[in-house]
Amino acid sequence: MNERLPISEIWVYLSGDPLFALIITLATYQLGYLLYVRSKRNPIVNPVAISVVLTCIIISVLEMPYEKYFEGAQFVHFLLGTATVALAVPIYNGFKRMKGKIFHMWVALTAGSTVSIVSAVAIAQWMGASNNMVGSMYAKSVTAPIAMGIAERINVSPTLTAVFTVITGMLGAILAPYILNALKVQQWWIRGTAIGVGAHGLGITRAFSVNEEAGIFASMAMGLNGVISAIGLPIVLTYLRPHIGI
Amino acid sequence: MIEGLVQLFLWQGLGELASKFLLPSIPGPVLGLIFLVVFLIIKGEVNQPLGQVADHFRQHLGLLFVPASVGVVLFLPELKTHALAVSTALLVSVVLTIGVTAVVLKVFWYVSLKYGKGQRHE
Repeated sequence: MNERLPISEIWVYLSGDPLFALIITLATYQLGYLLYVRSKRNPIVNPVAISVVLTCIIISVLEMPYEKYFEGAQFVHFLLGTATVALAVPIYNGFKRMKGKIFHMWVALTAGSTVSIVSAVAIAQWMGASNNMVGSMYAKSVTAPIAMGIAERINVSPTLTAVFTVITGMLGAILAPYILNALKVQQWWIRGTAIGVGAHGLGITRAFSVNEEAGIFASMAMGLNGVISAIGLPIVLTYLRPHIGI
Repeated sequence: MIEGLVQLFLWQGLGELASKFLLPSIPGPVLGLIFLVVFLIIKGEVNQPLGQVADHFRQHLGLLFVPASVGVVLFLPELKTHALAVSTALLVSVVLTIGVTAVVLKVFWYVSLKYGKGQRHE
């Protein structure tokens, strides 16, 4: 293999460039998004999951180390913080609509996210998952950009947290209608709030496609839940951690 | 587009500064978000470029956490070992989260409606 074909030279040049990581990230996401739209926005066809799986396969086949990939992809990653700030807009739009319901939502959100964290951590720990895995359950019920920020603050893996968050979003978006129907919850704003807490961004997309009010409340609930968790989780954990050992 | 992005970057920067010097336990972008919400409430409206950019971000939020999620390749062996524990925890937790949030909100809302009416009758 000593003969240097022009194509391999091009390849060596390209794979060393940040552009390559950006291209696979964006192209696989674009493909995933197309499939998602084609499937009439079926939550099982999650563009993020498709993009992650394809990108993992591509970099494994090319034997590209993750660090190398991330060097390029960090330009996309960087925008997470900006996207978090942008959540202010749906929260504000929600505020205008929910006069007289703010306190109720606050209580329900706190109850929901407490149950979410406690159940996930308890089950994972009880079933013998490693500390790495259990730790990453803490922030998984928060929208991914905020969840990763929290993960860094509480010293657990942002990567696993992001992965668990994506899976949670998929499960939530798929299961939410059945759970809510079984519980006979009919009001759109209550359904939306529950979906926003349980299923993040994907749930919001689903909620918007069914009912606008549900979508607005879902966006708002997701944002508020993120803020509450970002403020509360590090504080609660400082006191709790010495007792549970994770 | 650019106008909206500049606004977001400025709020993010402000949040990062506040996080660094005042409240290190809260991520900078979350503080930026809080500042922006307060600003919007005071101002009473979302300007169009900001609304537009925020909408784009919301639609493709997922793309932004692909790079970090791809890091899962580093955890594959560990994930395989604990696959059952992890998937059970995630599944049960999602069902409980959605169920509890909805029920608490519904019950609390009806209780306070009743209570509110009762007060009016008195």
